[in-house]
Amino acid sequence: MTTFTDAATDYLAPLGTDDVRRRAWAAFEQVGLPTTSDEVWRYAPLADFSLDRFTPVSVPRLVATSEFAQRLAARGALVVRVVDGFLEDGPELEGVRVESLDDERSLDGQSRLTRYAGDAFALLNATFAPSTIVVRVAPGVHVERPIVVLNVTNSSTSFPRLHVEVGRGANATVVEYLEGGEDALVVPLTEYHVGENASLQVVTYQRLAPSAWHVGRSTGFLERDARLRQAVVGVGAHYDRSRNDAEMRASGASNELRTTYLGAGEQVHDFRTHQFHVAPRTQSTLLAKGAVADRSRSIYTGLIEIEKGAKRTDARQTNRNLLLSPSAHADSVPNLEIRENDVVCAHASSVGPLDEMQRWYLESRGVERADAERLMIQGFFNEMMVALPDDVALLIESDVNAALSVVEVHA
Amino acid sequence: MRLVIEGLCVEVAGKEVLRGLDLSMDSGEVHVIMGPNGSGKSTLAHALAARPGYVVTAGSVTLGTTDVLALSASERARAGLLLALQQPLEVPGVRPLEMLRAAGADPVGLRERMSAEAARLGLRDEVLDRFVNVDLSGGERKRAEVVQVGVLRPAFAVFDEIDSGLDVDALGAVARRLDAATREWGCGVLAITHFRRLLHELTPTKIHVVSAGRVVATGGPELAEVLERDGYEPFRALP
Repeated sequence: MTTFTDAATDYLAPLGTDDVRRRAWAAFEQVGLPTTSDEVWRYAPLADFSLDRFTPVSVPRLVATSEFAQRLAARGALVVRVVDGFLEDGPELEGVRVESLDDERSLDGQSRLTRYAGDAFALLNATFAPSTIVVRVAPGVHVERPIVVLNVTNSSTSFPRLHVEVGRGANATVVEYLEGGEDALVVPLTEYHVGENASLQVVTYQRLAPSAWHVGRSTGFLERDARLRQAVVGVGAHYDRSRNDAEMRASGASNELRTTYLGAGEQVHDFRTHQFHVAPRTQSTLLAKGAVADRSRSIYTGLIEIEKGAKRTDARQTNRNLLLSPSAHADSVPNLEIRENDVVCAHASSVGPLDEMQRWYLESRGVERADAERLMIQGFFNEMMVALPDDVALLIESDVNAALSVVEVHA
Repeated sequence: MRLVIEGLCVEVAGKEVLRGLDLSMDSGEVHVIMGPNGSGKSTLAHALAARPGYVVTAGSVTLGTTDVLALSASERARAGLLLALQQPLEVPGVRPLEMLRAAGADPVGLRERMSAEAARLGLRDEVLDRFVNVDLSGGERKRAEVVQVGVLRPAFAVFDEIDSGLDVDALGAVARRLDAATREWGCGVLAITHFRRLLHELTPTKIHVVSAGRVVATGGPELAEVLERDGYEPFRALP
């Protein structure tokens, strides 16, 4: 049997000795895959994970996208198709540039290998992503309808790397949709740079196959008075890990992150956040809400970090978990690290089943129990769905509701 | 149709609250239950609606030929016995329209019927588009419950503390709506109240005085005047 290492060696063979991919691979080998004895990987089913099941991809496998992806694409001003990490064609829109770049740097200017040193999966992305897909919105441009990024995995692995740069005073919405990924390893590495007084709204809807491993990481870099509103919705994958960080680098920057997850079967949704407030008068608002059914599990671990000097920062973190079965688990670990006194910080979390009295109230109107539960679960998610951009809210909500309708409730 | 409650005993948190309550009424009638605090009035209402924690230990409730106590909460409502709560619960994320549709209301023209009911009660229409009872005042919640009654048209509607939270005008509108319901579809109204003012607009067929978990007196509208004058003391059941 060919090991992943053998395959990687073949993959890297044509590259020069100092190629950044080779260095990334060397760094990965140094770091090694995490184990469950690492606290941040404690709940990942790593015992069933072996890289040897996967192979790096040199040529994308083109397959028709799903009907849902097409409907989503129809709502976009611009559609960026990414297959197995490869940018399919070069779409165009006035004021927006999409290209595939061979670069070594993160959007904060650091070398990628420095920024992600120690993160095994990010280093795999640095090794195997075919290129960086860059979406650049020119300064002052307002893109009315969403830029839709269709991220399809048809092969054994996919390492998409996306940089979204929104120029000063510009305004855009990016909707990323992940599908496919049967028995695959999908490792997206994403960065957003939101320029001075610019605004970016991002939706990441993860609807991968139930057998997929998804290990995603995104980082937002926010300049003065920049706004990043981000919604992450995780429905698919066997193991769904999503790390979403933001750095408020200059005063007045604000970040809103809404994370929604639905777990069933043996699924694990593992959400990590790090809101880093470097500058004064910055804001972050986090709301993570999810439901877990069957024997599924969710983990929410969030860190709000406030630097000395980031005065009048306002940072809030809320996590609500709904348990739909006695065998489901939800862990909620909010953390604060504050090195400045003049700040407002709050966090709250809850884990529990559907409210029995609310259910009775609906039943006492004549709503059958299963319908009452469905309505309540949809209601629990509704708060998250209404915050999605208008162009795609109903479409995604009905798709999430379809996923909800097959979940079994054992309250 | 006839609603018959016989010898109903109900325990809440291990404590017997109803101790053999008897009451029967016919479609189209208005029955009013009055009684001191803690006498078991609300317990009756909740036990009829199968609220969790309300354990029936003896007795029977029949609706026509249907054994109500053998039914689940939703089956009772669908069989025609609907409770309007004293403090209607908030159900965040769920809208009244979805709830009523799931409750079996005819979806054709449903929103229009809701609006028409709200208008009759002086309830602002936009309240119907909010999540069920979320961000509603006490009076709005009570009227929203009556909207449900108007849309679902139960054979019997039970109102727990019908007048609490309602000002005089709103109470008048609710009373007139229920009075009309008795004629429109022969709705039987079983209303729990503390106050006589309801009875100005909604003429009761019978008034029942409940004390210590039993009906201790039943009479016509004139009984309200006796209660007004003498209070509950003469009716107090022996413990």
